[in-house]
Amino acid sequence: MEQKNFEEKLLQMSKPEVSQLKHQKMLANAIIKAKDKSVLSLWWLSIPLYILAMLLMKSFFMPSTTLFSNLHEMAHQMKHTSIFFFVFVPIIFIIINFISIRKVYFFSGSPKTITFLKAVWLNALIILVSLIILFVYL
Amino acid sequence: MTERELLKKIKENNAEFSEIFKLYYKPIFGYIFRRTANFDDTADIAADTFFKAFSHINTFSYNGISIKVWLYRIATNEINQFFRHSQKHNSIFSKVDFDIKEMFSNYLQEDKQDLEIELQKHGQFLSVLQAMKLLPQRYQEVIALRYFEEKSNKEIAEILDMNEGTLKSLLSRGLEKLRDKCNQM
Repeated sequence: MEQKNFEEKLLQMSKPEVSQLKHQKMLANAIIKAKDKSVLSLWWLSIPLYILAMLLMKSFFMPSTTLFSNLHEMAHQMKHTSIFFFVFVPIIFIIINFISIRKVYFFSGSPKTITFLKAVWLNALIILVSLIILFVYL
Repeated sequence: MTERELLKKIKENNAEFSEIFKLYYKPIFGYIFRRTANFDDTADIAADTFFKAFSHINTFSYNGISIKVWLYRIATNEINQFFRHSQKHNSIFSKVDFDIKEMFSNYLQEDKQDLEIELQKHGQFLSVLQAMKLLPQRYQEVIALRYFEEKSNKEIAEILDMNEGTLKSLLSRGLEKLRDKCNQM
């Protein structure tokens, strides 16, 4: 009974109302013109891919070597650079794209599976490529 | 024009997004204002909500929920983030360019004055809000949507993406906790 009265009180009490907002139209125009500025570039992922492609070519033209032996040699000669491009960059991309996929799900308003997959196929592809780079290196 | 038609038009021409502003900016702004009771925070959160909606409108698919529910969902998420990060908020206004900055600031200032006067007229609401802010977020959002926005259980369940059974139990427990807090104050 007491709970019911309290509920009635909450529903009946006066609440602040927004009657008009003068800034609304200008904000709408500004937002429509704005662009989301992202500092992250897919070029970072293309670097390890490019190196992998080079090492693959090298193993193709030098039959005495393999992709893995070339990779191993590179890892030995340029330890920090190879860790950066083959471990750090892919891991960062995996994390960022997982977050992106979660965001897309939220902002798409609980979409159907097919619609959702259409929206996140690029993120899924980047995760896959990152995992391949990571596994090839490790 | 139905929401579905509007969405189609926006996907063809993003400038049509201004129609969403016309329809929903005021109710969403009001919802955020009744949660925060602070004009500056509300303006930031509302701008963020619409900026995110605009950035993601092309991925929005009209399957489960309406644009209105979707906007309430984004706004609720933005409010929760705002409270979670100890009310620190990076203003979206730094990301957008206004043609006439001074004019925009003046309009914003005038709206602020109007709404601050409006807020002072509702003392009982302010004390309930103060008590509500002491509750965990999950109770705050259901209470605000049910009793401040007067949404139906079905709509709230859609906005918060939960089933109605969970919502009813959250509402019942939240109301009890709020009543206790109000009595203590």
